[in-house]
Amino acid sequence: MNKSAKIQSQKNGANSQTLQTMRKVEPYIWLLPSIILMCCMIMIPIVNVFRASVTEITKVGVYKEFNGLANYASILKEQTFWNTLQNTLIWTVVVVGVSTVFGFILALVLNVEFKGRKFVRALIVFPWATALIIQSVVWKYIINADYGALNALLYNLGIIDKYVNWTATPGAFFAWECFIGIFVTIPFVTFCVLSGLQSIDTSLYEACDMDGANFFQKLFKVTLPLVMPSLTVSTVLNIIYVFNSFPIVWTISKGDPADQTHTLVTYLYDLSFSNGKFGEAAAVSVIGFVILAVCASIYMIMTLRAERED
Amino acid sequence: MNTRSKNPWKRIFLYLFVFAVCVVILYPYFVMFTTAVKSNEEMYSTTAGILPKEWKLNNLIDVWTQAPILKYMLNSIIVAGGATILAILCGIPAAYALSRMRFKGKGFFMGAVIMSQMFSPVVLLVGISRMMSAIGLKDSLLGLILLNAAFNQAFAIWLLRGTFTSISSEMEQAAKIDGCGTVQALIRILLPMAAPGIITTLIFVFINSWNEYTIALTLISTDALKPITVGINVFYGFNMIQWQYLFATSIYATIPVIILFLCIEKHLVAGLTSGGVKG
Repeated sequence: MNKSAKIQSQKNGANSQTLQTMRKVEPYIWLLPSIILMCCMIMIPIVNVFRASVTEITKVGVYKEFNGLANYASILKEQTFWNTLQNTLIWTVVVVGVSTVFGFILALVLNVEFKGRKFVRALIVFPWATALIIQSVVWKYIINADYGALNALLYNLGIIDKYVNWTATPGAFFAWECFIGIFVTIPFVTFCVLSGLQSIDTSLYEACDMDGANFFQKLFKVTLPLVMPSLTVSTVLNIIYVFNSFPIVWTISKGDPADQTHTLVTYLYDLSFSNGKFGEAAAVSVIGFVILAVCASIYMIMTLRAERED
Repeated sequence: MNTRSKNPWKRIFLYLFVFAVCVVILYPYFVMFTTAVKSNEEMYSTTAGILPKEWKLNNLIDVWTQAPILKYMLNSIIVAGGATILAILCGIPAAYALSRMRFKGKGFFMGAVIMSQMFSPVVLLVGISRMMSAIGLKDSLLGLILLNAAFNQAFAIWLLRGTFTSISSEMEQAAKIDGCGTVQALIRILLPMAAPGIITTLIFVFINSWNEYTIALTLISTDALKPITVGINVFYGFNMIQWQYLFATSIYATIPVIILFLCIEKHLVAGLTSGGVKG
């Protein structure tokens, strides 16, 4: 190490100044391709959306003039928007909450050794790997009231004596959408927690056993604190993904009946690409950013505080 | 929490639980397979059994002539393949700088990368479609490649940085003393050592782009340019859904992805969480 430093400093000698500026600039050159790609494909659309949200836009997408907060005002007047906002919160909290709890339990079970564990682990990958749109279409067929697979299954097993309309109300539609959301989100939580569990030193549990700790004491005093980092990562990412998730709701109900089952993303898609209200749709996008940004900053503050405590 | 529980009741309960989980997970795939081989009449029958009465395995072959499935598949391969290569080519230098160099704004850049995750393509669709029409890439595979690469950039950098950081830089330094340039040291020494992490990233970005639906749905209007996730909509008519072909196609679109996913599952999860913890 010392030797190489000496050689380098000798080499540098006269033009050390240019070398130093080179060294300062170098990291940015390495970052450049990535920065260009993300700026062009993500930053420009973000700026575009903010601009669109304060612009009057015709149905065919021609930008007229700056109209201040008129788009926001017209959105906030819509009852559908408030319904949608409520749905989005329920959707995010229910899907992330239930799949986190269930995914965690599943990870605990899969951390126990049993025959066929590898097989089950492989199986759990399936819902994660399958395209959401395909998963949604299959479930749409399963819950169909007239010829759906679930009705056929339950009827043939003798559990129901006539076909049931599983999606009779908007609430029922939405509940199924939440179920599918949970179904596809669990694997990610399970794998994150499993990776955390596998890094726990088993001697910790042996020490607990010697002290006579019971199952729940071990769970809350040892396991949970140690898998917390993995659980945090999976929860934060899931909040973002589930909040922004489009194919499930779009395939199962398209926000219908009567716009009762929209979440923010299907609502803004419907506004812009079905109704040509681009300005209002952009306003909904911005409101969505703000909500996520608030969540993200809460998360940041919490992690910073936790780090300070360490 | 014992790695091996001895109580027989616990064992039985465990197996019952695991069995129930397996049944629920497999159910949609079971429906997908059995429906794909049903006849059209049986499909809409209101007195169907659990299994098809008549197994029309021909559906699985006929589907290729019912719609340009092969074309859709090729489009998906081009989009996912192109996006993967681009995301990796941009991601490797960025991850290298983040794991090996000190510079001003490093924290800011990492923060920006994480924040970019918040903006999913769906919420940006109004802006994306306007920009893409402005540069003439709205109805093109190149447009999809660029977008998929950009929206997977965060994950690519995240996973690659985690891999690079876990590899000691001693070997590269030794190579540099021997007169090797930084780029050479990266290509000859670091990349081969980081191969498992790079392959994981490749496959992960590929799967994400393969499964992407919303951008393609909005931007692509020419039938011959549709990727498979959007292409399967041809079986989804206004008053008649050809479920058997829809599901037959779904099977072909799903199997390769599941196989790829099984290959990387272990590395992927370790990479995701370790990157997060040490952020």
